[in-house]
Amino acid sequence: MQSIQMAFKSILSNKMRSFLTMLGIIIGVASVVILVSIGQGANQSVSDSIQKMGTNLLSVNINMRRNNPITLQRVQEMRTLEGVAQASPVSMSSGTLKAGLQQYEDGSIIATTPGYDVIRNYTLAQGRFLTEPDVSNRSFVAVLGQEAAEELFGSAGVVGETFTWKGYPFTVVGILDKIGTSMAGSGDNLILIPYTIGERLFQRKGINSVYVSALSADEVETAQESLTAYMDALMVGASSSTTYNIYNQTTALETLNTATATLTLMLGGIAAISLLVGGIGIMNIMLVSVSERTREIGIRKAIGASRRNILSQFLVEALVVSLIGGLLGLGVSVLGTYLLSPTLKMTLRISPFITAVALVFSLTIGVVFGLYPANKASRLLPVLALRHE
Amino acid sequence: MIQMRDISKCYQLGGEKVHALNKVSFDIGNGEYVAIIGPSGSGKSTLMNIIGCLDVQDSGTYRLAGTDTSKYSGRQLARLRSTHIGFIFQGFNLLGRLSALENVELPLVYQGIGRKQRRQRAEEALGSVGLADRMKHRPAQLSGGQQQRVAIARALVAKPKLILADEPTGNLDTGTGSEIMDLFGQLHTQGNTIVLITHDPGIAARAQRALRIVDGKIQQEEDQEG
Repeated sequence: MQSIQMAFKSILSNKMRSFLTMLGIIIGVASVVILVSIGQGANQSVSDSIQKMGTNLLSVNINMRRNNPITLQRVQEMRTLEGVAQASPVSMSSGTLKAGLQQYEDGSIIATTPGYDVIRNYTLAQGRFLTEPDVSNRSFVAVLGQEAAEELFGSAGVVGETFTWKGYPFTVVGILDKIGTSMAGSGDNLILIPYTIGERLFQRKGINSVYVSALSADEVETAQESLTAYMDALMVGASSSTTYNIYNQTTALETLNTATATLTLMLGGIAAISLLVGGIGIMNIMLVSVSERTREIGIRKAIGASRRNILSQFLVEALVVSLIGGLLGLGVSVLGTYLLSPTLKMTLRISPFITAVALVFSLTIGVVFGLYPANKASRLLPVLALRHE
Repeated sequence: MIQMRDISKCYQLGGEKVHALNKVSFDIGNGEYVAIIGPSGSGKSTLMNIIGCLDVQDSGTYRLAGTDTSKYSGRQLARLRSTHIGFIFQGFNLLGRLSALENVELPLVYQGIGRKQRRQRAEEALGSVGLADRMKHRPAQLSGGQQQRVAIARALVAKPKLILADEPTGNLDTGTGSEIMDLFGQLHTQGNTIVLITHDPGIAARAQRALRIVDGKIQQEEDQEG
């Protein structure tokens, strides 16, 4: 109690120096907390966008140019496999869409079948999604994303309007709800058309990519196994076993998580170095303070202070400096993350864990780097200390 | 109170061995007022450091209030200093960052005495040296004489068995020095044991008894009723 009071007195008696000493710790703690928060924020936003795509999503990619056994009929069969909810072939293209005088070039044209909306968690704002008859009749119909619809027709009722692509007129039958931007780019620039139309206009035969949704996130493994068995059965006699592969989002999520965890660790490590430098600053100032106060130490010893009293006095002083520095650093990082969040377009949250780690670390630094000067002070012989001018 | 037997102390000064004290023996009784007098370099500062348990002799035995200090550890010596000895220095040696009251409280802090009692005893001690109205002042705001009074109050506050003063008037003008010496006289009549170290025969003459030290040896003992 007494030594804490003494420590405050001594810190306050030299405000500028104490502040500069603390600055090292303040910057160290703030950079650790902010950088780790950024790492965790990045991690969070990546997993959020994957979550948005659906954790029960799988994709089957076929790498065969000839004798591709996958047909629309077989995709239908996939839907009946164990663990599988929906399966839709996907083929992508891009191009310039025209409606009257309006042109739209940023669209992502996707040829698919009904069920794709379920797989990707799309919901409709207006009209309907693609249907089986659309596919089998090769109807020139399209479902548009919000941005595509607005660019082509403005904001008013759009269902029933027509646009042309490669000279073919398409009728808009539905508009998707706003999807938002994910790491895969804008989700609102979609133009969804029947798969059969796509095959014709993209001049691509066969199915090279199938999106599949599992019944639930827990059934992803089951779905993957039954898909593998199904594909293996179809591929018998194929020259290579690498003719197809199946990805699921869980694997992707894990890969990304390890990547961002490494990033977080690296950022935190770099910041920890600045905290260490701050600690060395404390040691430096404490050593100066010990030699400046040699006489004071001598007086205190003469009037009855033991080694332990002196040791604890200087140690507590170093601790108080580092603790105040740590708390101020936390304050700075709260402010920093608050200001940075909009710029980085992610929600930065300071986790209690990293807060605790930073504070404990700064206290440890106070002890470690305060111990040497404090010990030095306590070992001064009273006679020599008193003689010191 | 003090029993010194064959105390020797050597210093290594620039490769040369200097006998600061050479087999010094003397006794000082309870309630005595003794001056140790000698020119500079005579070894009187070394003697005072040993009496004050700030330094340890190379050989010989020193008993303070019956306890043999030669086998004491640094921690035990610190405890002894805090309970048995009140120091008064030539340069006052007050802590500039603390007020007069806090300076006087300090020895009690190291004895682990509670805040309330500490304050009360410090106020009493300051009152007894006539500084009741200067308690909140810092040393820099006090005159030399007042600072030395604060230092005396600090020496008295722990009710030590021995008051050890090293040239207490050295930094003061004659008038103030004389006032301080009057204070010592008062303390003596109140029953305190006082050891005064000085080079000034005039100051030494105020004590009951003087020990003259020259070249690390006690030369003569002279009684002087004054």
